[in-house]
Amino acid sequence: MAPLLQAISIGKTYPGGVVANDGVNLSVSAGEVHAVVGENGAGKSTLMKILFGIERPDAGTLLLDGKPVSFTNPREAIEAGIGMVFQHFSLVPSFSVYENVVLGAEPRNGIGFDREKAIAEVRALSEKFRLHVDPLPAVGSLPVGQQQRVEILKALYRDARILILDEPTAVLAPQEVEELFVAVRALVAQGRTVIFIAHKLPEVLEISDRITVMRAGKTVGEVGSSEVTEQSLATMMVGRDVALRVDRAVTAGELACEIKALWVRSDAGQPLVQDLNLHVHAGEIVGLVGVEGNGQAALLDAISGAQPIAQGVAYLNGTSLGPLSTLERRAIGVANIPEDRIAQGLAGGASVAENLVATKLADRRYVRLGLLDLKAIKSNAIALIERYSVRVGGPAQAVSTLSGGNMQKIVVARELSEQPKLLLVSQPTRGVDLGATQFIWKSLTDARDAGAAVLLSSADLSELLALSDRLVVFYRGRLVAAFLNSAALTPETLGSYMLGLATQTEDEMKVALR
Amino acid sequence: MIELLATVISSAFFVTVIRTTTPLLLATLGGLIADLSGALNVALEGQMLVGCLTAVIVSVYAPWYVAVLAGLGSGAVLGLVMAFFALRLKADIILVGFAINIMAAGGTVFALAMATGGDKGTSINLVSKAIPPVDLSFLGVIPGIGPVLVSLLSGHSVLSWVAAFLVFAIWYFLYRMPWGLWLRGVGEYPAAPAAAGIPVNAVRAWSLVVSGGLAGLGGAQLAMFNYVGFARDMTAGRGFIALGAVLLGARHPVGALLAALLFGAFEGLAVVMPGLFADAPAELIRMIPFIVTILALVLFSYRAQRARQMRTLSKS
Ligand SMILES: Nc1ncnc2c1ncn2[C@@H]1O[C@H](COP(=O)(O)OP(=O)(O)OP(=O)(O)O)[C@@H](O)[C@H]1O
Ligand SMILES: [Mg+2]
Repeated sequence: MAPLLQAISIGKTYPGGVVANDGVNLSVSAGEVHAVVGENGAGKSTLMKILFGIERPDAGTLLLDGKPVSFTNPREAIEAGIGMVFQHFSLVPSFSVYENVVLGAEPRNGIGFDREKAIAEVRALSEKFRLHVDPLPAVGSLPVGQQQRVEILKALYRDARILILDEPTAVLAPQEVEELFVAVRALVAQGRTVIFIAHKLPEVLEISDRITVMRAGKTVGEVGSSEVTEQSLATMMVGRDVALRVDRAVTAGELACEIKALWVRSDAGQPLVQDLNLHVHAGEIVGLVGVEGNGQAALLDAISGAQPIAQGVAYLNGTSLGPLSTLERRAIGVANIPEDRIAQGLAGGASVAENLVATKLADRRYVRLGLLDLKAIKSNAIALIERYSVRVGGPAQAVSTLSGGNMQKIVVARELSEQPKLLLVSQPTRGVDLGATQFIWKSLTDARDAGAAVLLSSADLSELLALSDRLVVFYRGRLVAAFLNSAALTPETLGSYMLGLATQTEDEMKVALR
Repeated sequence: MIELLATVISSAFFVTVIRTTTPLLLATLGGLIADLSGALNVALEGQMLVGCLTAVIVSVYAPWYVAVLAGLGSGAVLGLVMAFFALRLKADIILVGFAINIMAAGGTVFALAMATGGDKGTSINLVSKAIPPVDLSFLGVIPGIGPVLVSLLSGHSVLSWVAAFLVFAIWYFLYRMPWGLWLRGVGEYPAAPAAAGIPVNAVRAWSLVVSGGLAGLGGAQLAMFNYVGFARDMTAGRGFIALGAVLLGARHPVGALLAALLFGAFEGLAVVMPGLFADAPAELIRMIPFIVTILALVLFSYRAQRARQMRTLSKS
């Protein structure tokens, strides 16, 4: 069968000289789920942007149904039946779900916008493709999983035959991933084709029929999902063997962070964290387990200073953190790798070098007499780029043009360039490739071994189980279970506590709450 | 004081307020459209001023309605110029706006001198026309309320009625028509409409053209009804007040109407007060609308700030 969509020796060099695609080939057949995998910066998003008419290729041809096509803008790609859901969503936050879905192709009655019809059509679509979402609320008020469904509906509403999903699972909790896969299967069953980008190989193997592997702007090969194992696919991607294993902490040190009867409230006054008691010792990683929104993020925010402590105290080596500003907390050794690197971790328009010193503007090495020492800032950046093997054009490149995984490396590099006493980490490897995941994990355990107390939150249970020395489970803002990590501890066990199906007694928890 | 109160609740004062509000409202609606599309139009003042002069000069040679359309057109052309520099050539839109304001201030005086043969202050020796008032005196036959209706509704400029209709029309456009959805989407989060294939820059360019046109229309009302004839700097900051009114009106057409009415009322007061308080300097009284603008904006942004709770980097 002739492929539905074919890209032949695509080349793309960005202004500034980054070669993002260099002779890339992709061949997608109708009715399949075709995965594209590769390390951060391999050029996957760039290739997708070319298929969707956002970027123009410098070389190569696109064939749709065997006929050459070229798209100068997304509208032409949409008309040809291609839809795309971006790594970073493009939804208008204050608009309702149905307004976002029909934006640009609204049903009309005369000169007016036919809202009734729009709502009905969105309902029908979400029914048909099993993408359940209420058409009426404003998109900005929805959790990311639902926003993503809105994005998919948007493409389907425009009758996309080919749907491109750029790292759709990176922002989803495990059960949301399952729901997404149900929808993807429903799509394929109804004759649509899906192009799927992801970093987690088990996901890729589960959902896709065929896989194209990219490395450093080139295609390495195309394989059937049934012909490969996780290990062989990883080797193809990275070009060497990768093993994701970390060593447990040798011994836990002194008590570093003590949290006593802590309450955190939302802006509206709802309790997010209730009466929490937790000790974190130097040299250990404590994993915060829980379905998103059960208090892990709020706890980290309260300790970093992004959100006020409503009640209770948190000490770091005897100093109460509550009265300190974010900067003062950093000065006594708190480091923070936040969940949302784009909104909270980085200044997109600023350069890599500037981002790497953004938290150190009181430091004599970079700022003298109120003036930036540009030379020192640049050499700091060059050293860190080297040490953390970040793929960038140079220290002056704007952070917003980096690939997702490389952005994360910048945050990690900045936060760990100085040994922290208390390290707060949230979703450290979201959207990050295998090689970089391995690297970031190593960086975290190195920081731990050098004496940092680490609080780690992640939506990825396997990450928590791999890294943590102890784990505590959050449910509705309270601790419901605590474990010393061991090979016997399984995601299933954690799952039942996460969903509130089981709760440990005080005594059971005490063992692991040392 | 009592006299003041009596004046304020008279129907004559109401008519004055409608008159002072109309140019402001037209400019505010213009500012609203540009602002909602994400292109702040700080050139309202200059567009209005050029609209004034164009309307006056054209009215010497053509019927009043042609002059009004010319005023509108001149503002729209300036909106297009703005769109060209800010969107096509990617110049900073605030700077482009100020450039237009400065050129309008000087250019109108120059053009005035050319048209009048040397007078750089006013167009007093040009026979310009006025917009005819809409006569509704037939309403007087309604028993009981007839005379009151006539005193309140009769004698307003055609453009006052147009402006009132535009409030509704723009509301309908923004919230009931697909293009309004596009415009608001472009203003709030341009990446989303762009991904949906909507030409973001074209939407912004049209908004600027309409915005300029509305400011020009406001100018026509000012120079062909509120006053008949042109005087240098006759807009006297109304374009800037309109920018404030957009925010004060919570970026909604009905809010824009209310905010314009508020400022119009204070301008009306500044018109009637010198007659009542002979010893208060007229300059001070004329400052009232501006002081109210500043107070209103400070209050407004204070409330917005409170709602937006400062978070990071400040002590909690
Ligand atoms: N607008 C841009 N300007 C300059 N360089 C860019 C731009 N967009 C991407 N790049 C560079 O092109 C390369 C490929 O980026 P791309 O986003 O396609 O990677 P990716 O495979 O999607 O990575 P990730 O898995 O991290 O999302 C990267 O080195 C990136 O820094
Ligand atoms: Mg990408």
